[in-house]
Amino acid sequence: MDLLIRNLPFILQGLAMTLGLALATLFFATIVSFLLGTLATLRFGWLRVAVKVYVELFRDIPLIVNIFFVFFVAPLFGLELSPFAAVTVGLSVWGSANGIEIVRGGFNSVPRHQWQSAAALGLKTWEIYLFIAGPQALRAILPPFVGLLTLLVQATSLGALVGVNEFFKVGQIIVERTTMMEGWNPAFTVYAAVLLTYFVICSTLSWFGRWLERRLRRDRAQARPKAISAAEPAAQLP
Amino acid sequence: MEFDFAYLTAQWPALMRGLWLTVQVSALSIVLSILVGVLGAAVRVLQVPVLDKLVVGYVEFIRNTPLLAQLFFIFYGLPGLGLRLSLFWSGVLCLTLWAGAYQIENVRGGLETVGKGLREAAFSLGLSPWRFFRLVAAPMAIRVGLPSMLNTSISLLKNSSYLQAIGLAELTYVAIDRISMDFRTIEMFAAICVIYLLLVLTLSFLASRLEYRLNAPFRL
Repeated sequence: MDLLIRNLPFILQGLAMTLGLALATLFFATIVSFLLGTLATLRFGWLRVAVKVYVELFRDIPLIVNIFFVFFVAPLFGLELSPFAAVTVGLSVWGSANGIEIVRGGFNSVPRHQWQSAAALGLKTWEIYLFIAGPQALRAILPPFVGLLTLLVQATSLGALVGVNEFFKVGQIIVERTTMMEGWNPAFTVYAAVLLTYFVICSTLSWFGRWLERRLRRDRAQARPKAISAAEPAAQLP
Repeated sequence: MEFDFAYLTAQWPALMRGLWLTVQVSALSIVLSILVGVLGAAVRVLQVPVLDKLVVGYVEFIRNTPLLAQLFFIFYGLPGLGLRLSLFWSGVLCLTLWAGAYQIENVRGGLETVGKGLREAAFSLGLSPWRFFRLVAAPMAIRVGLPSMLNTSISLLKNSSYLQAIGLAELTYVAIDRISMDFRTIEMFAAICVIYLLLVLTLSFLASRLEYRLNAPFRL
């Protein structure tokens, strides 16, 4: 407890860093996901294949390898990335690979007749995407995206491995410092506290995701008495 | 800096040793995590009084905390309780606990497709509970639950790379270690990316073959 009070400013800095990392990643991952995910639903076959390769590549390579790759390889091309930037890039690429599948699934869950009627009414493709399919797809996209955010928050802990002083790294430093300076090892308590903090943050987010899902489904059920239950996308694994 | 194949051939034995450790840790953890999954799912489905709440809590906890923090807690924190595990067994324990939580949900998802009506029908035909499980429930549950169980297993294989953080000399550790000594960054990353991709794609391929085989009786 004493340890906590003494290190409070430091811990708060770490939490802020984790939050910053998560938000930056979410921002970039969302942009890329929506861009590429939408492109993958268009009629161009080669584009679909290209996006598929991107998704498979970055989902199949372990996230850690991905982050180390950005961190170690970018400097070779004359790109001096700070650890923060390297982790943001690595996580965004991975997050967007998962996000693309969510967005694509969302657009695919919009019934065919919606697209056809919109086209029959003379709407242009971009108008269909923006005004007809988009809002409906968003209902299917939002809940899993909250789930993705939970995973991103968890994944920011990987920043510790390349030297970003985020929450997990702060815990690590406190353990080391106490062991060196005071001669006792608080690893058990500190890591338990770290786990608990992540648990509180992430389970709040998960809870929000579930609430959102129920909420959106209820709205849809009211609009259409016999709602077609869309296939639930399986929970993505980190 | 050009791509140096000779360097890779020289480092090949070290990489293979790392790969072997990765495969060992993953295979052991996959088997154990499926065991955890089956046991946990049984507890949930049979609604064992206190235990099922504990299982729910366990699943929620694992899902909502970073694997890296779990790993550090097990490797650095548990000795504080007098439980000191070797690198290898810390890794196995961590991956098993992590994947086990997901496997519980996967197995449970499979078991839930076996409806109450089916059970009543089986019992009224005079099947014993064990025969009901073996002849009716298990075949259905496995077909439904298997794809997600295999996905979790593949994720476990990828996540075995987390173990480099505590210094277990698996594939990623070997690569990073060599990079910090020789700075042949591109070669090493190319090598481990290809190895991981091959591993994951082979497993996915085997998984889809297995699904195909299992669903054979239902194809026209």
